[in-house]
Amino acid sequence: MKEYHEGIVEDIWRFFSSMKLGLILLGLVALVAGIGTVFPQINLDPQGAKAVSKLWQTLGFTNIYGSTLFRLLMGLLCINLIVCSIQRFQGIYNQTFALKPPESITSVLNKVQAKLKGESGTLRSSIETLLQQSGFKVISREIDNGWSFIAIKRRLGNWGSLISHISFVVLVIGAILGTTLGFKGFMMTGAGTTVPLSSINLSKGTVKQDFDVHIYSAEDRFLENGDRDNWYTDMAIIQNGQEVIRQTISVNHPLTYQGVTFYQASFANGARLTVDLKDQKIPVVLQDHGGNYFQAPGTDLYLIAAAIKSDPQEPIMLYQVYRGTGVEPVQKGQINLGQTIDVQGEYKLTLEGNVGFTGLQVKQDPGVTVIWLGCALLLLGLILSFYWRTVVVSGVFKSGQDSIGELTIGARAGKVTGGLQQEFDRLIQGIQSKREGAL
Amino acid sequence: MNQGLQNLETTSFYIMLMAYTLSMLFYWAWIGTKKDLMGRFATYLTIVGLLANTAAIILRMIIAGRPPLSNSYEFLLTFVWGITSVYLFVEFRYKLKALGAFVMPVCFMILMFIIMSMGAEERIAQSIPPALKSKWITFHVVTAMFSYGAFAISFGLGIMYLLKFSRETNGKTAKSQEAGIISRFPELETIDELSYKVIGFAFPLLTLCIITGAIWANYAWGTYWSWDPKETWSLITWIIYAAYLHARLMYGWKGKRAAWMTIFGFAAVLFTFFGVNYFLPGLHSYAVSQNLIIV
Repeated sequence: MKEYHEGIVEDIWRFFSSMKLGLILLGLVALVAGIGTVFPQINLDPQGAKAVSKLWQTLGFTNIYGSTLFRLLMGLLCINLIVCSIQRFQGIYNQTFALKPPESITSVLNKVQAKLKGESGTLRSSIETLLQQSGFKVISREIDNGWSFIAIKRRLGNWGSLISHISFVVLVIGAILGTTLGFKGFMMTGAGTTVPLSSINLSKGTVKQDFDVHIYSAEDRFLENGDRDNWYTDMAIIQNGQEVIRQTISVNHPLTYQGVTFYQASFANGARLTVDLKDQKIPVVLQDHGGNYFQAPGTDLYLIAAAIKSDPQEPIMLYQVYRGTGVEPVQKGQINLGQTIDVQGEYKLTLEGNVGFTGLQVKQDPGVTVIWLGCALLLLGLILSFYWRTVVVSGVFKSGQDSIGELTIGARAGKVTGGLQQEFDRLIQGIQSKREGAL
Repeated sequence: MNQGLQNLETTSFYIMLMAYTLSMLFYWAWIGTKKDLMGRFATYLTIVGLLANTAAIILRMIIAGRPPLSNSYEFLLTFVWGITSVYLFVEFRYKLKALGAFVMPVCFMILMFIIMSMGAEERIAQSIPPALKSKWITFHVVTAMFSYGAFAISFGLGIMYLLKFSRETNGKTAKSQEAGIISRFPELETIDELSYKVIGFAFPLLTLCIITGAIWANYAWGTYWSWDPKETWSLITWIIYAAYLHARLMYGWKGKRAAWMTIFGFAAVLFTFFGVNYFLPGLHSYAVSQNLIIV
């Protein structure tokens, strides 16, 4: 029974350690990912995704990257990479740190090979000196009727492939951390207002932090030539009634506090008004195109800004007032800077000026550091693999009479022969000229 | 001053266009006639084209006051620069003039695409939205330029390999081969090894391109990966070349199969740029963001 279980484990191990499986999974990931670009995805184009036939929606084609199939493929790929990496670790370690000089000519590396005749001592010192001068670490030993050596250069290159494979697993871990532990939301807020972080619109996760965000100003700045410079938000974090940080953010220049990052995402014009309700002055900011509304306390009147002319010298607002759930406005009109109007006999409204509304993407992603670590490992792995190629040279000298004999020398460097041949030829030439110099 | 610079940029563009077009014709003439003079002219014209290309890029930078990496025209200009500079390096380093006959047509077709599909208003320096004002986009596009350029070279090598392979397996005699165009090509093994080397150079750069794009997106939109079609197709391209490298290193996929993969890979590169922009624009989240910015 025990043997049976061991057999199953071995079969599973063999299945997941197959490079062929890895290639098939990569192909499937590419195929499924490609299909996802043809169908509108719910995270990118919610309206388009809803317009797709119900059948495709049900089959998950409009949320393909969040589908069980896609996650399963990624999971299997991760297992495959982990198993392959474990399997290869010992071999790579031995090839890097536990190199042994060959015992016989048949064990000499044979990707490229050459034979040199000469006197044992001269040949040995020429080779060892030259290899050490070229940056090789040389290990040699005595064997029957001669000696042998093995030398390695750029040994870390051996680890490139393993590191790049592991990096993929790190990337997936980072993505999982971000999906399961973080949150993502959006807030559209007018200048002069304070918003508790817990009240923003969330599209993912929950907010655990307890602080407020105060917007001092929001600006849409233009350059002298009329081109847009950037959107700027002067904002502060308020914790326990104290301002703990204040910073001006813009697109590409976010603010991070307690792991929560605020990204400048959009901008809208707005109007600053004062509502006079039973001698109580209430400051109100309204966003252009009905982006928000104001409900006067104790009334069922809803005020919106239908359109705003954002000229700083002469701002104008077209307003609409709705009652209860009514779909037609009960009052509408234009209000100019400094003008006061009466709203349904309930309150007075004065336009004080323009105000900017800032759209902030708010996100906490504990996995993002892990993602950058994965990216760094991936790059490191690829640089080691392709730009820091390990070269190993080995040889066996068999002595004849009077210490004269023949050295069989060979080399390998990854799986490529082209560049290696040239490097090897240079090495042989170097040995010969060094030997001639010694003579 | 700006008008003068713009005229100079336009002139540089047309000199580049003429030089690249003529160099392509001279490379063809060279492999057809075997006259060294033709080959020398082809190389000189490519160098002239590259200089004019460089001038057009620098002038655009001066006019726009930013790196020229913000619209299709500017990217194609740098893409062509990347292909030509990598090609010239390969030609001088490996004495592989015949490759020009297969690489320069790629530049020619890209330039024809600009001429035929982009109006003058699309080619002038335009203002850029705030999201594009990032140093990361410069790294992103520069790495794309060199990696895509190198993939174009591997594509040319793949075509050369298949032509030579086809001629050799069709039972042509060595004598007739020598008389033909194919005789200008290096040995099959040399083409194959060089193609691998070029992809080995380009693949880490493509990876860096994707990573810098992710960093930029994270700064700009707070998300390093959103599975938009552009990102997804760059990942698919990456997977194709990763599969090429694995198949080659682990299963010894060389020769014909490897050559086909270089062609397939470059087709994915082209689709990532042209296909996504022109066939899947409605789904491209960056385009959506652009609309947000404009609206």
